Amino acid sequence: MSLTDSLPFVEFGAPFLQQALFVTLAFAILSVVFETLIGFGQALVLDQDFYGRRWVRVSIIIPWAIPIVIQGMIFFLIFNPTIGFGTEFMQSIGVFGETPLASSDDSFLIVLVADIWKTTAFMALLILAGLQSIDRGLYDVAKVSGASPWQRFKYITLPLVAPALLVAMLFRTMDAMRIYGLIDATAGCETVPSLTCLVIIALQESRRWATASAVAFLTAVVISGFVVVYLLALRNSDGGVA
Amino acid sequence: MASVKLEGITKRYEDVTAVDDMNLEIEDGEFVTFVGPSGCGKSTTMETIAGLTLPTEGTVEIGGRDVTDLPPKDRGISMVFQNIALFPHMDVYDNISFGLRLRKYDQEEIDRRVEEAADIVQLEGMMDRMPSEMSGGQRQRVAIARAIVRNPDAFLMDEPLANLDAELRVHMRTQLQRLHRQLDTTIVYVTHDQAQAMTMSDRIAVINSGVLQQVAPPLECYNEPANRFVAGFIGSPAMNFVEGEVVDGGFESQYTQIDFDPATHGVTPGQEITVGIRPEDVFLEEDSRKAASPTKAFDAVVDVIEPMGKEVNAYLLFDRDVEASAEGRGEGQLLINLAPDTEIAEGDDVRIVIDRENIHLFDRASGDAITHSLE
Amino acid sequence: MSADPADREPVADGGAADEPDPTVEMAEQAGREEPDLDRGIVEAWAAKMISNPDRAYRATFYVATFFFLVTTLFPFYWLLVVALTPRNNLSEVGVFLPAGFNPAAFIDIFTTLPFHRYVFNSFLIATVATVAVLLVGSLAGYVFGRLRFRGRNAMLLLVLVTSFFPPAAFFIPLNRLFNTNVDVLRPLLSAGSLYNTPYAIFIPLSAIFLPLSIFILMTFYSQIPDGLEDAARVEGTTRLGALFRVIVPLSAPGVATAGVLTFISVYNEYFFSSLMTDGRPQNWAPMLEGILRFQGEFEVLYNLMAAASIVAVLPVAILVVVAQEKIVSGLTTGAVKE
Repeated sequence: MSLTDSLPFVEFGAPFLQQALFVTLAFAILSVVFETLIGFGQALVLDQDFYGRRWVRVSIIIPWAIPIVIQGMIFFLIFNPTIGFGTEFMQSIGVFGETPLASSDDSFLIVLVADIWKTTAFMALLILAGLQSIDRGLYDVAKVSGASPWQRFKYITLPLVAPALLVAMLFRTMDAMRIYGLIDATAGCETVPSLTCLVIIALQESRRWATASAVAFLTAVVISGFVVVYLLALRNSDGGVA
Repeated sequence: MASVKLEGITKRYEDVTAVDDMNLEIEDGEFVTFVGPSGCGKSTTMETIAGLTLPTEGTVEIGGRDVTDLPPKDRGISMVFQNIALFPHMDVYDNISFGLRLRKYDQEEIDRRVEEAADIVQLEGMMDRMPSEMSGGQRQRVAIARAIVRNPDAFLMDEPLANLDAELRVHMRTQLQRLHRQLDTTIVYVTHDQAQAMTMSDRIAVINSGVLQQVAPPLECYNEPANRFVAGFIGSPAMNFVEGEVVDGGFESQYTQIDFDPATHGVTPGQEITVGIRPEDVFLEEDSRKAASPTKAFDAVVDVIEPMGKEVNAYLLFDRDVEASAEGRGEGQLLINLAPDTEIAEGDDVRIVIDRENIHLFDRASGDAITHSLE
Repeated sequence: MSADPADREPVADGGAADEPDPTVEMAEQAGREEPDLDRGIVEAWAAKMISNPDRAYRATFYVATFFFLVTTLFPFYWLLVVALTPRNNLSEVGVFLPAGFNPAAFIDIFTTLPFHRYVFNSFLIATVATVAVLLVGSLAGYVFGRLRFRGRNAMLLLVLVTSFFPPAAFFIPLNRLFNTNVDVLRPLLSAGSLYNTPYAIFIPLSAIFLPLSIFILMTFYSQIPDGLEDAARVEGTTRLGALFRVIVPLSAPGVATAGVLTFISVYNEYFFSSLMTDGRPQNWAPMLEGILRFQGEFEVLYNLMAAASIVAVLPVAILVVVAQEKIVSGLTTGAVKE
């Protein structure tokens, strides 16, 4: 259980709201970072012209179309100690404890992976759309002036796709900040409490409507903070939204 | 068929006045062209006639009916647009019949009318084509067919030839004139190209900065421009202007001097005026008999020569020290038209005369024309 | 970890995290591939790659494609493995092969529960919500995309702000509202309240997913040349007529994208779907309740849950297969050519 200590963010006993805020922020930032990076990789692959692209594209996009309850169930089963292989594997490389779905740290990781699996596809889709709107002629110009593929990526692809990328990240962050269904369908709100979890716990278990509304507003405030950051970044990248 | 009447049309946006108190009466069956530089308000004026823009003030009448508050569909007009504006998701037949179908004509009538319109613009056999499969000229003809099929009271044409190549534009110009003769309908035409305005219209309405400058037949605008703007805008290559002052014996500028009696031409000594001279009204001294009433000769230097085939354009400088302006013709420069066989070379010293019958005087402050002849 | 991720652990997050690198340092990585080969061959191969970088990029591309395919598809495959494993053998289910073979699970899900009814309920709710969102979103998209008026940006921001709140926040007032008996609704709904009706799910979900559609449609509608709308209006349509006869048809990819996104979002939604009905199929409980039922009423029938999941995914999977090209081009928002 040594690893549990090094991941201090879910400790029962600490103020619940603080935990929820921390879990939510950590989840939002980590998931968006990984989903953006992997999604970018997928989009770059899908942007190529190759035989069978249509089916590769469908395959990569399809996790995004999976209902949350099914997504949750898949990962619940994978990490179910008696059925799935995931626990055993993660234990063998020394990351997980005995019952990962009851441990906050392990569950956080499971929720994160499950979310990355599903929503990376959405990022890939949005980034791909951005990539496809880049004028191909620019690449020819770059090739003629002797730019290496890496330089072409750095000086053409990245700046031109930046607005689409930021918009995609904005929508993803807003979504990730409101995570609930996936947690409920895998580890449960008690194990990995997010802000929306708090809203629902306050509603269903203690019927504290005022508390629930307060947490909902807090979530909105945190999200609007992110939105402001993105909008400023968007303005700097010269890509007007709409 | 109907007349179109604009009364006090003004269109203000938050910080600009696009059209300022426009009054204009277009007669039944007349071909009137709004012409002016881009952004002068000519398109906005047309949009108020169409009902696509509501004027801030003023009224629009079509056929004696006040249509100011009617939506475009109820004004009895049809329109041809600059970017042609064919519906890309409909074939030729559907494009042409769109308005008729909306008005629930019966199928036979629609077929008959579409066929007739297609016949006029020579589109037979293309009914199934999609706009994307057609050339620019063909699309333009579909757009015109779509406009004429409804037998509107008036046609509005907003730069309909702007997107066509030069050859096709000249061709369509004659086509439109023929069409006007054939349909005998009121046509209001908008263009920034003075050549189109000159060649096709019964009357030209020259507009600048939202203000109507002159409404007159093309040649009147050419020969007797109401003000300096019209004089400079109508005619290609454009009129030469020389800024100067009225003196006792006539006109004097830095490089030129023209004798006339100020009193008979309505100017007073000391008044600042602009002299306007069309390039074809300047002659070499040896050809001065071609001028009805030549002035005395001026010295000039040939700067640049443009042989055009049927004529030669020569840019002259009144003095070797004059620096040719990079933007248009500056002070001390003069553009003249010469016969194609004129023996002239860049750098030559020449002597020129001007035809006094076609010297225009404009008041410098107001720009208004004072006289169009010094005889 | 970065060596041959494709062959090893398909769902490991670490491998996934490393993967965007190919685009970044493709050449080097390609050079490090296949470590168990003879040293000399590797060197020769690396040298070849360095002298011919295009080949290295090509190789990286194939490796990346393969990796992405495995990581995205494997969980589905494993779901099938679980579904085909007889219930008693579930603890022995393997990574790649089922423990036993029991395709009957795909029939059992319809006999133990009317699972088809649950899927139908979800399908219907999602369809109705999509139509509603497209209709309202089109009107809003037209106003925001094509009209210039004071306060436009402020209103647009307000639309976005609704997305800041956790949907759960809307549950409090909605729950009270939907459980209230409204006499006006009595002729329409036997109970007089919206709880246990499809409206209870599709109304809030339509509202929640509306902003995204407004943004997509707005972008599209704003790109239709003014001339086309003007032409339609001169030819005889009203503004509304021009919207539905010209602007919407010309924005087909955008409308399709907004529609597909809405449909999938509503079909997949978790929170409202799980709370707005009592979970019985005849009371319009959605697919989600059906899947969870295999967990609740009887013992936990994981194989049936897996089978039901596969069935429930089919409608959206087919939608993605059919519409994927439209979605991408729809998000690319290519301007309409005249």
